[in-house]
Amino acid sequence: MSLTLIALGATVAVLLALLVWTLRGSERYIGSRTVSKPVEGSGRTHVNFLPQMRQALRSEDSEFLMRAGFSGLRNRVRRERRRVALLYLSALRQDFEELMRISRIIAGLSPEIGVGQELERLRLRTSFLWRYRIVWMSLWAGLTPLPQISNLSNLLSGYSVRLEEAMKELGERAAIVAEMVSSPDRRSIHPV
Amino acid sequence: MAGLTKYVQWVWGISVAVQAAVCVVLFLRGNFRRVPFFTAYLMSNVCQAVALYVVYYQFGYGSRTAALIAWWSQCIPQLLRVLAISEVLRLVLKPYRGIWGLGWRVLTFAFSVVFSVSLIGSWHELSWAVLVADRGFHLAFGVAVVACLLLAHYYLIPIHPVYKALLGGFCFYSCTVVLANTIGGILFLHGNANFQMIWQLVTMGAFVAVLAVWAVTLRTPLPEPTQREVSPETAPTYWEMSPRINERLRLLNEQLDRFWKPEATH
Repeated sequence: MSLTLIALGATVAVLLALLVWTLRGSERYIGSRTVSKPVEGSGRTHVNFLPQMRQALRSEDSEFLMRAGFSGLRNRVRRERRRVALLYLSALRQDFEELMRISRIIAGLSPEIGVGQELERLRLRTSFLWRYRIVWMSLWAGLTPLPQISNLSNLLSGYSVRLEEAMKELGERAAIVAEMVSSPDRRSIHPV
Repeated sequence: MAGLTKYVQWVWGISVAVQAAVCVVLFLRGNFRRVPFFTAYLMSNVCQAVALYVVYYQFGYGSRTAALIAWWSQCIPQLLRVLAISEVLRLVLKPYRGIWGLGWRVLTFAFSVVFSVSLIGSWHELSWAVLVADRGFHLAFGVAVVACLLLAHYYLIPIHPVYKALLGGFCFYSCTVVLANTIGGILFLHGNANFQMIWQLVTMGAFVAVLAVWAVTLRTPLPEPTQREVSPETAPTYWEMSPRINERLRLLNEQLDRFWKPEATH
């Protein structure tokens, strides 16, 4: 019976925490992110900065500094590169969250939505956030060697062109949605 | 009314008085037109309280007849409670037809699953069946409400403060009942003589607190139901854009995957 009490107590505590979070958080979230920040910037993507990222992460520079005997400088460069990699990761997340925001607005305006599509998006988001935290911590702790990140950047370049084109197109579509959500109260919108 | 302690009688009386006050506020402000099932729920509670008072007076509080009538009479307010919460959620989500379509499925699914799971095992102890069923109902109710609120939060849907108070009140009361039923059961098993009084005071006290919040918030007129004209173009836009956005999300995920599994890049 005491086990039942613990299980039910924990369930109730989680329910009450979620209740408070959803009821308190909704106004702030909508106020700060949907209304005051429309989606005018949705067409931009941080993948556009990939060439600079690739340049910054090239392993040849590090090898040259090591051969030349500038070990202090080399360590500093490695730290800076790690910082850049972390910033790039954060930028990827921004791209991801922006896409999520657009998708939710479109779903909110649509008279019908696909459960499969929405569940797939939820799965992708969960997967992304999980990996993001792992990779971020790994990079921050210096566990991921930079040459591998450099290899990654080579691979990303293949995606960059496709993503850039797709994001540009999405941005144009999002501009239409932006007009719909620019009103302070989305409930009064007539998305005609 | 022997058997009911003075404290319980007082809290019961206060509960009925506050419910009557909320009903008056609903009628004076005209809000009963917006939330008819919620109004019916409160009125059914008041009627049930009056009926139970008569039954307890007639048959005695401890009699089996009174207990049977008391539990069976719970069915009507419980049914109206479900209808009332569905009504409020419908008012919140109805302007978003797609989300509402998803929302009522979530509500039904969450309620059915949790209620069914919570009833497992109750058949072995028939004496506990009513208690377990009541607890399961409230647990399922709380989970369903929170699931719908999470849905609204996820899709950035604004909720009017009055509806927040109604939904929050229902959920808070259900959570309290779940805990009170569990603790009451444990106290009974340990032979605590006051287990019934404690259970009654906790559940009724929580309900009075919720009613007080409702009485204050319902003085504000409820918003007009929003009539949104849905463009026929929005549905194709969703079906066209949604898979493409998912594809973009998948690509971003793959990028992270290369960080996670760097050997795949070779």
